[in-house]
Amino acid sequence: MTVNKHKKLRVCLVASGGGHTSQLLRLAESWVGHETFYVTTVDVMRDKLSETRGVYVVGECNRQYPLRMLKVLLRCIRIAFRERPDVVISTGAAAGCMLCLLCKMLGAKVIWVDSITNVEQISLSGRIVRRIADLFLVQWPELASRYKKVEFVGTVV
Amino acid sequence: MIFLTVGTQFPFDRLVKAIDDFVSQSGLKQKVFAQVGNSSYQPRNFEFVRYLEKNEYDHTIKQASIVVSHAGMGSIIAAMSYQKPLLVVPRLKEYNEVVNNHQVAIARKFEQLGHILVAYQQEDLPAKIAELETFVPRQRKTNVEAVANRISKFLAEVGKAEKQS
Repeated sequence: MTVNKHKKLRVCLVASGGGHTSQLLRLAESWVGHETFYVTTVDVMRDKLSETRGVYVVGECNRQYPLRMLKVLLRCIRIAFRERPDVVISTGAAAGCMLCLLCKMLGAKVIWVDSITNVEQISLSGRIVRRIADLFLVQWPELASRYKKVEFVGTVV
Repeated sequence: MIFLTVGTQFPFDRLVKAIDDFVSQSGLKQKVFAQVGNSSYQPRNFEFVRYLEKNEYDHTIKQASIVVSHAGMGSIIAAMSYQKPLLVVPRLKEYNEVVNNHQVAIARKFEQLGHILVAYQQEDLPAKIAELETFVPRQRKTNVEAVANRISKFLAEVGKAEKQS
């Protein structure tokens, strides 16, 4: 009997609207053969992600709006428990950070690709996730040399 | 046609108004069309919409001769993938347009690399738009495959470990 070399994983792909989503989508080849679902922050991203069946929209938030943060956090908690992914892949920002932390607590592996926008230092979300990430990639070589456990292998953009 | 796009997540009234003022003061011959997202300022001198669906967005950017946008990566990626001359105006923290000044940092970096032009202040807009007409952006070399390979290798390792456990 032939056995599949690898188990098919359940992968959570999470990115805020705009550039975060564009950068994540460029990596689409890497999760071929696995079962995926998307989490994003704005409704208008839906049609960009149309090829996959599950798309959750959790709403936009940042640290300027604590109430919205809470709302998004509650939605992320629900998603984490319902979906129980094996792996989370995120390019940021706040919602990505939340799902990485939540799913990690539930046993998932975490992959973070810091957005190319972060030139001088890793993003705030990235700095939080770095402590628990299993694979942490940046898009500027200077950043990789400044932080431990951070890799530069190339740029997405 | 000049395509103005300011991102869909947060308003950017300062840029929409600056372009509106520029159009009325300069007597610009070119048509301007804008996607203004959540901005509340309503331009009087050109047509605009709040959101364009992805297909419409791509179609519009293809038609444009030049693009003006905030320094958001979504807009930069879109303009670069159609090799359109792009002028960005970074959102600034001091005006509460963004939580930190990362847009200034990425704008400066991409400007140094010859990919885009930047107007750091709205006063620079007229001169920069004139410069944009003849600006030839330098193409960016990316390495998406290397990053994708690193991730798929990692997923394969996780898959193997799960299978054994």
